[in-house]
Amino acid sequence: MAFLAWLSESPLGEWVSGSTWVYPGLLFVHTLGLGILVGLNSALGLRLLGVAPQVPVADLEPLFPYMWAGFWLNAVSGSVLFVADAPKKAANPSFIVKLVLIAVAVVVMRALRREAFAGSAGVTARARTLAAASLLLWAGAITAGRLMAYTTALK
Amino acid sequence: MIAAFAAWLAATSVSRAVTHYSWIWPTCETLHFIGLALLLGNVGVLDLRLLGALRRLPVAPLNRLVRWGVFGFAINLVTGLVFFVGAPAQYITNLAFAFKLLFMLLAAVNLAVFYLSGLARTVNALGPGDQAPAAARLIAGTSLFLWVGVMFWGRMLPFIGNAF
Repeated sequence: MAFLAWLSESPLGEWVSGSTWVYPGLLFVHTLGLGILVGLNSALGLRLLGVAPQVPVADLEPLFPYMWAGFWLNAVSGSVLFVADAPKKAANPSFIVKLVLIAVAVVVMRALRREAFAGSAGVTARARTLAAASLLLWAGAITAGRLMAYTTALK
Repeated sequence: MIAAFAAWLAATSVSRAVTHYSWIWPTCETLHFIGLALLLGNVGVLDLRLLGALRRLPVAPLNRLVRWGVFGFAINLVTGLVFFVGAPAQYITNLAFAFKLLFMLLAAVNLAVFYLSGLARTVNALGPGDQAPAAARLIAGTSLFLWVGVMFWGRMLPFIGNAF
């Protein structure tokens, strides 16, 4: 707990919470990263689930670098946002749920890439399951992230 | 007059319901973010393709994905109206909200140009590896810029104005 307080009082933490534009700017970047990652992932997921069957799945693989760019945009902006408010966020149950959902979603995303782009056998049942799981996980992560503003710290 | 309209709207039973039930606002916010992702992602694939990324994709079948982007926009139109009806006063004088509407209007104009000029039909003929004409690339880049802009102004609502 002392570490979390130290984080929020660090120069980085003070910079974020003390300035007028850094915090809103970070929120914008975080929303942009969300839109890129979850949005492109939804396009890929929908295709694997049977929407737009004429789109060749193999040609969607170049989406992954963009999705990872969105992910890292949010990993960085999210980390800085966390530092600024570490003690409160760490104690927020929605935040914990959000992190768990993101961790599982990342594992699923990697497995999905291996499964859907391995060969030319068409879309396997496993790829469809992973696609559905990734849509639900990212929607869940968005939900948990949004609810952080409404759930208060434990204890 | 705008203030009177806002006061009238805020006094309606629909508006009161939005602020009375504490679950409505967070639920709509969550849906608004999911709608945002659907819009940006599914329209974004077409925009990226026209800009030259994902060059191997044929263009025409991407229209099926764009429908899901339109669905995302519909979600956001409905949830956005819920916010507006629920707390009109915090939007009508909000500069960020005015810019958000302006960018949406420009995005609609951009879309109208794309379809009415015949460019939409032209790009539908593009197969794997074909490059989109410069005008289509310009429209795709404008589309991305404007929708990211809409998102930017939306995010600035609590900071430039006073909306929550």
